Amino acid sequence: MEQKSVLVVDDEPIVRESLQDWLEDAGYQVAVAESGEEALKIIEKQDFSVMVLDIRLPGKSGMTVLKEVKAQRPWIKSIIITAYPSAETTAEAKKLGAIDYLIKPVIPDDLERLIRETIESVGREPAVTAEVEIRPKPPVVEVVVKKSFTITKDSLKSIVENLAKEIEVVGVKSRHGKYVYDRITSFEELRLDYDVTVMPPTKYLLPAKEILLKFKVGDGSKVEPVIEQLPRAIIGMHPYDIKAIELLDEVFTAINPDPNYIARRQNTIIIGVDCLNPSPKSFAPCMGTSLTETGFDLLLTDIGADYIVTVGSEKGAELLAKYAQVREPTGDEIAKQKAVRDGALANYELSLDVPKERLPKLLEESYDDPYWESRSETCLSCGSCVMVCPTCFCFDVKDEVSLNLKAGERYRQWDGCMLVDFAKVATGENFRHDKASRLRHRMFRKGKYILERYGKVGCVGCGRCAIACLADIASPLEAFNAIAESAKIKEAARRIIREVRLETELYVPRLAELVNVEELTPREKVFEFKFKDREELGHRPGQFVEVSVMGIGEAPISISSSPTRDGTFQLAIRKVGNVTNALHSMEKGAIVGIRGPFGNGFPLPALDGKDVLLIAGGIGLFPLRSLVQYVVDRRDSFGRVILLFGARSPAERLFLGELAAWSQSPEIEFHETVDKGDESWQGNVGVITTLIPKVDFDPRKTMAVVVGPPIMYRFVIGELKKRGVPDEQIIMSLERRMKCGVGKCGHCQINSVYVCQEGPVFTLAQLRNLREAV
Amino acid sequence: MKPKVAFFDFTSCEGCQLDVLNVEAELLDLLAAVDIVNFREVKTERGDNYDIAFIEGSISRESEIPRLQKIRNQAKVVVALGACACIGGVNCLKNSLPMAEALRIVYQDDAKYYDTMPARPIDAVVPVDYYVRGCPISTEEFLKVTKALLLGKKPEIPNYPVCVECKMAGNVCVFERGMFCLGPVIRAGCNAICITSGRYCWGCRGLVDDPNLNSEKEILHKYGLTVDQVMERFNIFNAYQEVTK
Repeated sequence: MEQKSVLVVDDEPIVRESLQDWLEDAGYQVAVAESGEEALKIIEKQDFSVMVLDIRLPGKSGMTVLKEVKAQRPWIKSIIITAYPSAETTAEAKKLGAIDYLIKPVIPDDLERLIRETIESVGREPAVTAEVEIRPKPPVVEVVVKKSFTITKDSLKSIVENLAKEIEVVGVKSRHGKYVYDRITSFEELRLDYDVTVMPPTKYLLPAKEILLKFKVGDGSKVEPVIEQLPRAIIGMHPYDIKAIELLDEVFTAINPDPNYIARRQNTIIIGVDCLNPSPKSFAPCMGTSLTETGFDLLLTDIGADYIVTVGSEKGAELLAKYAQVREPTGDEIAKQKAVRDGALANYELSLDVPKERLPKLLEESYDDPYWESRSETCLSCGSCVMVCPTCFCFDVKDEVSLNLKAGERYRQWDGCMLVDFAKVATGENFRHDKASRLRHRMFRKGKYILERYGKVGCVGCGRCAIACLADIASPLEAFNAIAESAKIKEAARRIIREVRLETELYVPRLAELVNVEELTPREKVFEFKFKDREELGHRPGQFVEVSVMGIGEAPISISSSPTRDGTFQLAIRKVGNVTNALHSMEKGAIVGIRGPFGNGFPLPALDGKDVLLIAGGIGLFPLRSLVQYVVDRRDSFGRVILLFGARSPAERLFLGELAAWSQSPEIEFHETVDKGDESWQGNVGVITTLIPKVDFDPRKTMAVVVGPPIMYRFVIGELKKRGVPDEQIIMSLERRMKCGVGKCGHCQINSVYVCQEGPVFTLAQLRNLREAV
Repeated sequence: MKPKVAFFDFTSCEGCQLDVLNVEAELLDLLAAVDIVNFREVKTERGDNYDIAFIEGSISRESEIPRLQKIRNQAKVVVALGACACIGGVNCLKNSLPMAEALRIVYQDDAKYYDTMPARPIDAVVPVDYYVRGCPISTEEFLKVTKALLLGKKPEIPNYPVCVECKMAGNVCVFERGMFCLGPVIRAGCNAICITSGRYCWGCRGLVDDPNLNSEKEILHKYGLTVDQVMERFNIFNAYQEVTK
C-alpha cells in the first residue's frame, strides 16, 4: 500500500515542476495538475495522501476543488498554497478541512516536513486508517454504508474473480436442473437468476459435521477446542436466507456465544441478490423476508444491463472500493430497481391467510387440534424438512476415537426434531415419540417458539421444505393456513444482539478427578469429584453438569451434593447409557471432563423461611439430595422440613446411611415407603402418594419440591392439589435430553422452553403452560 | 488383553469380509488392536477361542443353524456383517417361490443333491448384539463399530433414514431427477453414497426401526411406480423384513 503520494495542483509550471522534483527526491509519488478540472479527473482515477493546492486557478477555483475533493475523498489531506492570502480564504479553507495554509513563495523543505507530518499523523489515527488506504482501483463516488450504487456486470465480475484469488468464494450454481451453493472460480459459473437452492447456505456457518474438540486420553490427556477461521465469501444469497442467518446470529451469539459459529461468521462476506424469480413454493413476502435492508455486506439487484448494489457494511464498502467501480444510480435506475422488485412480488403464488404476527397466538390455540394427527399420518420421519431449512440449527454431539483409543475428536452433526430419536433419553423414554407431536413441535418452532425466544421469525418462507417433502406435508404455510382463525396479535419481545467476543471454551470441559466412588445399588453409584485446578464447581442445588468421558461422549447428570459441602461435588449416577456405563467402570483417580453447572436449580429464595415438603421417588433422590443437604446445613433458614422418599423395593433404596440419619434426625420429619416389600422390610409399603395423607402440613406456607420419574409426578401432583397446595408452591425437576447444556442443540426443548436454560426446575404454575412437560 | 476376533461366513459372496481388508490406512492399527483368530480370507490357522464374532451371510440351509448356534455360544459378542446377515438381503428373493422350484431353477437336474430353506437373517436364528449394515458394508462403519466394542460403548448407528445424510451431502433429490428411491425408509449410515454417485437408494441397509412403509409406497406410486414395481424394488434387499414387518 503506497501511502506517500501527493498531488500538486498549481497553474504555474515552475511551482509544479520544482515541487514535483523536490518531493520525488524526498521519496514521494507525485502527480501534478495545472487546473482544478484536471485535478478532479486525476483524483477520480487515483487516490492520494496529500493534495497541495493553489487557490487561484484558471476555471474551477481552488476552493471549489477543495469542496469536491472533500465530498469524494474526505481522507485526502489538503495544504493550501497561495500568493494572495486573506482572512476569508484562510477561514474557508480551514472549514473545508485544509490542514494548513502556506504563503508563496513556499520553502520546499517546510512543505516537505508538513507533508511528512501530515502523513505520519494520519497513521496515528486508528479511526480513519481504513479510509486513508490507497486502493488499486478507487471508487469514483464515496462508497458509504446504506447507500446504493450502480455497478456494471464487468465490475461485479472483477469483485468475484479478485475475491476468488484471495479467499474461498461460494456461489449459486446449477446442478441437475436445480441450484446449489458450491465453490466457484469464475463469474460465469454464477447463477444470480435462480429461484431457490436445494440446501440453504447454513452449512458455511454451521457445517453438517463439525469438530468441536480434539482430545487425547490416558497419559498426557488433554482437550483442545477446534475452531476454524476460513475466510469465505458467499455470493448470491437471497434475502430470506440472509434473514435466516440473522436468526442464527441471534441464537449463536447472543447468549452463550458459540465460538465455532462466531469464528465462521466473522470470516464470512455475504453478497446477497434480490430474488426476482421466486420458487412456486415460496411465500417469503408474507413472512417479511422477500427483501432485506440488513444482514449483508453487499446486496445486488439485477436491473438488466447493470446491477444496483447496496452497501450493507464497512466490509462491503471496502470490497467495492478495492475491486469495483461504481457510480451514483440515475433516477431511471432507481425506478427500475423498484419495478423489478415489485414485479417479483407479483410472482409469488402463495401467501398466509393471516398476518404473521398472529401466528403465535393462533398456534397456541390449536395445540390440541386434530389437524396435527391427520397431517402427520404420511410423515416418513425422514428429516428432509429440517435438513433443508435455513432456520433449523439443532445438532447432536458425538465422539469418535482412533483405533488405538488414545486420541479422538468430539464433533457435532445436524440433527432435527422431526427425527424419531431426537427427544429420546438414555433410559429409553422418548419425549416426542409420535409423528403428530414431532410435526406440531416443528410447526410451533417455525411459527411461535423461535419468534418468542429470539425475536426473529422462525420461518422465512423459502419453501425448501415444501419442495423436499415427498409426503407433501412439510410446508409451514399450509399448516398455518389450515389452523388459521382469529386471534389477537401478540407482540414478541425483541432482543438486541450484543457485541460478542470469541471465547473458545463453551464446549471444552474442565478436568475433574474422581476422588471417591461408592456403590449404592448394583445399578447406582455415587461419584465424588474434585477439579484438577482445585476450583469449586460453584453450583446451586438442583443444577446439573455435562459429564464427559472423552471418546465415549457427554451426558447431563444432576448434582447430588450441596454447595455447602466444600471442595468436592458428588454425582449419583444410574448405569443406563454409554457414558454412565463408562463412569461405572471407573476407579478412584480417573479423570473426567465437566461442563457447567447448568440450569436454574431449585428456587432457594422462594423456599427461604417456608415449610418445605421434599418428595423424591427412586433416583429422583439424586438431584433432591443436594437440596436436602442444603436445607440441613442451613436449617435455621427454613420452617418445618418434611422429606418423603419412595423406592420400588427395599433393594433399590439409596443412600442407606443418610436415610438412617434422616430418620433419626430431630430436624427432619422423614417418611419412607417401598412399592413392594420383602421379608426384610418392616416399614411402609405402597407407592409414594400413600405417604402424603400421613403428613400434616399447612398448604399455605409449604413449598413442595417433587423429583421423580415422569409417571410419579401426575399422581403426586394430584395428591398435593387435593391438599390445597397452590400451583406456584409445587416445584419439580424435569428430565430431558440435555445434550449441549447451553441452549443450542435443541434436544431438551419442551414447547417454547429449553430445559437446560430455563429449567430443569419449574413450578407447576409454569408447567401448566408447557403442554409437553408432564 | 487384545480381544480375540473371528470372522465367519454363511450364505453370501464374502464381499463384506473382503471390505474389512479394505480398511487400508488403518489395517495395521486394526491388527494392533485385535487378535484375529479366525478369518478364512486371510489366514489358514483357525482358533475356536474368540470374544467377538463377525458373521457374514444369511441362513439358508438347515445345516447352517447348528453351526451358527455354536458360534453364538462361543462368542461374547456377535456382530452381523453386511446385508445378508443383518436383513437377509438378496438371498431372500427366493423366499417367494416354493423351495423345490427355487432349487430346480438354480440347479436344474442336480437339484436333488442340494437342500435349501427360506433364507433369513442371522438374528432369526440367534440373538445378535450389533449390526454392520449394507451391501457391501462401509469400512468406515465397520471401524466405528469395532472401536465402540473396544471402548465398551454401544455403537451409535443412525435410526433415521438416508434422506438425512443425502441432504447433508447436498444432493438434488432423486425424485426430482425423475428416478425412484427407497431412501426415506432405509436406515442411514452410508452417507447416501449411491445417490451422491448419481443413482438411487436400493435399500441395502434395511428399514429404520419405525418406517412409514405405507407412505413410502404411496409416494412411489404417486411418482409413477406400479404396486408390483414398488414391491420389486423393496424386495431386492428387504424381502425378509418386508414380510415380517
